[in-house]
Amino acid sequence: MKKIKIIFLVLMVLMNSIFAAGCWNYKEVDQFSIVAGVAVDIGKNSKYELTAELIQISGGKEAKTTSKTVTVEGKTIFDAARNMISISGKKLYWSHAKVIILSKEAANNGVKNAIEWYTRDSETRESVYVLISKGETAKEIFDGQGTTESIMSFILQDIIKNQMSLSKSSVTDILKYSIESQQKGASTIIPAVSLKLMNDKMVPEVIGTAIIKNDKLAGFLNGEETKDLSFIRNEVKGGVLVEEMQVNNLPAIITLEIFNSKTKVSFSAEAEDLVINIDIDTTVAIDEVEGTVDLSDEKEINRLKQITENTIKERIETLIIKIKSEYDADIFCFGIKLWQNNPQVWKSVKNNWEDVLSNAEVNVKTNVHIKNSAIVS
Amino acid sequence: MGDAMFNNILKRKPESNVKSNVANDENIGLDMSLDNNISFLSNIFQKDETVIFREFQNKHLEAAKCCIIYIDGMVNTEIINENIIQPVLRSDLSENIKSNNLLEELMKKVIVSNSVELEADISKIVSSVLYGDTLFLVEGYNKALVISTKGWKIRSISEPESAKVVRGPREGFTESIMVNLSLVRRKINTTDLKFEFKEIGERTHTKTCVCYIEGLALESILNELKQRLEKINIDGIIDSGYIQELIKDAPYSPFETVGSSERPDVIAAKLLEGRIALFVDGSPFVLTVPYVVVENFQANEDYYNNYIYSTMNRLIRGFTAVTSITIPAIFLSIVNYHQEMLPTPLLLSIAASRQNVPIPTSVSLFLMLFIFDVLREVGNRMPAPIGQAVNVVGAIVLGQAAVEANLVSAPVVIVTAITGIMTLINMNFISATIIFRTILLLGASFLGIYGFFICFIILYLHLMSIRSFDVPYMMNVTRAKNHDGQDAWIRAPWWVMTLRPKIIAANDLVRQSSGKSKEK
Repeated sequence: MKKIKIIFLVLMVLMNSIFAAGCWNYKEVDQFSIVAGVAVDIGKNSKYELTAELIQISGGKEAKTTSKTVTVEGKTIFDAARNMISISGKKLYWSHAKVIILSKEAANNGVKNAIEWYTRDSETRESVYVLISKGETAKEIFDGQGTTESIMSFILQDIIKNQMSLSKSSVTDILKYSIESQQKGASTIIPAVSLKLMNDKMVPEVIGTAIIKNDKLAGFLNGEETKDLSFIRNEVKGGVLVEEMQVNNLPAIITLEIFNSKTKVSFSAEAEDLVINIDIDTTVAIDEVEGTVDLSDEKEINRLKQITENTIKERIETLIIKIKSEYDADIFCFGIKLWQNNPQVWKSVKNNWEDVLSNAEVNVKTNVHIKNSAIVS
Repeated sequence: MGDAMFNNILKRKPESNVKSNVANDENIGLDMSLDNNISFLSNIFQKDETVIFREFQNKHLEAAKCCIIYIDGMVNTEIINENIIQPVLRSDLSENIKSNNLLEELMKKVIVSNSVELEADISKIVSSVLYGDTLFLVEGYNKALVISTKGWKIRSISEPESAKVVRGPREGFTESIMVNLSLVRRKINTTDLKFEFKEIGERTHTKTCVCYIEGLALESILNELKQRLEKINIDGIIDSGYIQELIKDAPYSPFETVGSSERPDVIAAKLLEGRIALFVDGSPFVLTVPYVVVENFQANEDYYNNYIYSTMNRLIRGFTAVTSITIPAIFLSIVNYHQEMLPTPLLLSIAASRQNVPIPTSVSLFLMLFIFDVLREVGNRMPAPIGQAVNVVGAIVLGQAAVEANLVSAPVVIVTAITGIMTLINMNFISATIIFRTILLLGASFLGIYGFFICFIILYLHLMSIRSFDVPYMMNVTRAKNHDGQDAWIRAPWWVMTLRPKIIAANDLVRQSSGKSKEK
């Protein structure tokens, strides 16, 4: 009797664990359409107009992957996503989507609203890159022609991944956006994408960033400004600096490659008279020289170092003034840093952070190491 | 007097064998009259025309009427002619034989043979005749001489087909138990090596021999083995496989808990680790107990080659043993349930190969694996020249044509091929591989990776629960402490393996005296 009881118990546990658990969704790979990327626009009749780039696979020995786009309207993003079945015929598969592109209108409507479904659904991923289209609509980006691949979303993914050696744009995925936008008083940036005419082809270009303040689009920064911003945000991983210096009254243009850059932000003084110190420590190498410079002379190198330090400092100060006056947005993550370093101060200022920030004094210190002169072998 | 009695018995049980003819009545036996004895024995061997009765007399001593009985084909006729018939016929018995006991004098002075026994027990007499000995009867004696004249054709010692080696001894066991014992004896020259014979099989009377090293083998395991052999009650043993299955632990498990090998070096090495060997006459496969799971992965060459190379090979065997069971199930569950786990380019190429394929992935996997097993079995059964044709058909028709005709997708064929090759590396437990691979695949096709893991855990628990002669089957697989793991997943260098396997050789752990300090 006891044995039967034990067997019965084990059976019950097994049955439950088998039949009450998930994983009901047996599906063959050819029974769904793989979504490569999504574009969110504001529709004419409904609230949202969702455009999905679907991967089309022609089977057989020489398999080819191309893409087509499907545009559907819906009251919400998920509503539109499900409405797509009525056109595509197959269920859409979102796990392999790489990018989500928002139009300016959609961003004005609230970026969080547009990506909320992505953070909540089980099939979608939080590692999807967010982009904002500089053009009229977001879906027009998918009409561009790629130079390397045929699927636009994959091209955009490659651009974003590899632009860290350019530093003229930033990387923002859904997870990063959700974290940064939840910080009180913080504004975020999202890379901007546009189509550019090149050799009679419209090719995508990811350069510059969009400023998002209070979850809404506030404006755009160009590529150079984005690079300066990256210095402050400690996000520089590469890129080049072009410096001009006078040698014997002749101009010489020197291009420096950034190897590595570290930025420390510290705060001094209390509450109202906040002083922000930015220390930038950059290692560069001379990569290209236009003109004649005697690089074997240590004085010349030192002069170049001085010039570079000054230009970086100037540009960063200009950017901070511009942002302060035009947008009044804390896209530098100063608030987060203050909260991490001086939580007591943060508590006292967080309610009128924007005012405190606009009155704060910013000291920029730059230190450039010129590692080598890239001796040509 | 005898005839009537025997006729009675024969009437009662006309077809029963010799043993039952004579066993029950102790009065039955040889009597003084040669004629009676001959008719008595010819009654026992009636309708068996291979039994030869040869009657002859000594030319000097009329009273010495003799008869030899043997089975044609089982004996060496040269020995009979020159060492039995010739001396008895020609020597002057009237001069040589002084005492009254003619039979004993013949045994001591006339018959030239290394083994002669005086025997009165009729059942022993009959069984030794059946095993190739010659029976020597003399008028006036109720006893007989049993002279060893065994001489039948046996296969010469050659390298076993089932386990060829590049490095190592090239001899293999034959079908003759005495030859097999000598092969092991030649490797272990000690009086501690014990051989205990036992006949199994009501009709075949197959000789078996329990072989062990005294002082190394555990008494408890030896007694358990003897007890299990005692309980066998079967009419015949043709191959050691019969006994292997009859004395096995976990009889319903596809995993073998009794080992078998065709190589004397393997058996000798296992005896030296404290295991017990069981030789069965007529089978070149010698059984060993206890048998644990790591022995599936141990090849004799491991111990003769460089230890780094051996370790690499053993890791490959272990790895392929796991993957040959799991690969189809993992593939199926990821491709059909968890596509998000695949890198995008891989998903695209798998999706591309799936285009226009009508059969679902799970069905096509089952189908291809089944066809692979059919091909494997055909390869075993076919005569060698035709086997080539099977390979061509298998490779071309299944590998290429099926993909080109869009019946199955290319990844399925690749997974089947990988699984098949990996299965063939570990032929020791191919039955378990096929069965559990199918179970895992079933689990995966119903419940994805979740079902796969349920079945995998069941497999693991099953392996953990098995014992072979009270030794845990998974011994040393999950442990790497001290000396436990040195001969499991890896093959440690010989200078490190100072101790024998812990549980099996508990009597005497030290293999190399330098390991004494580490015994505990």
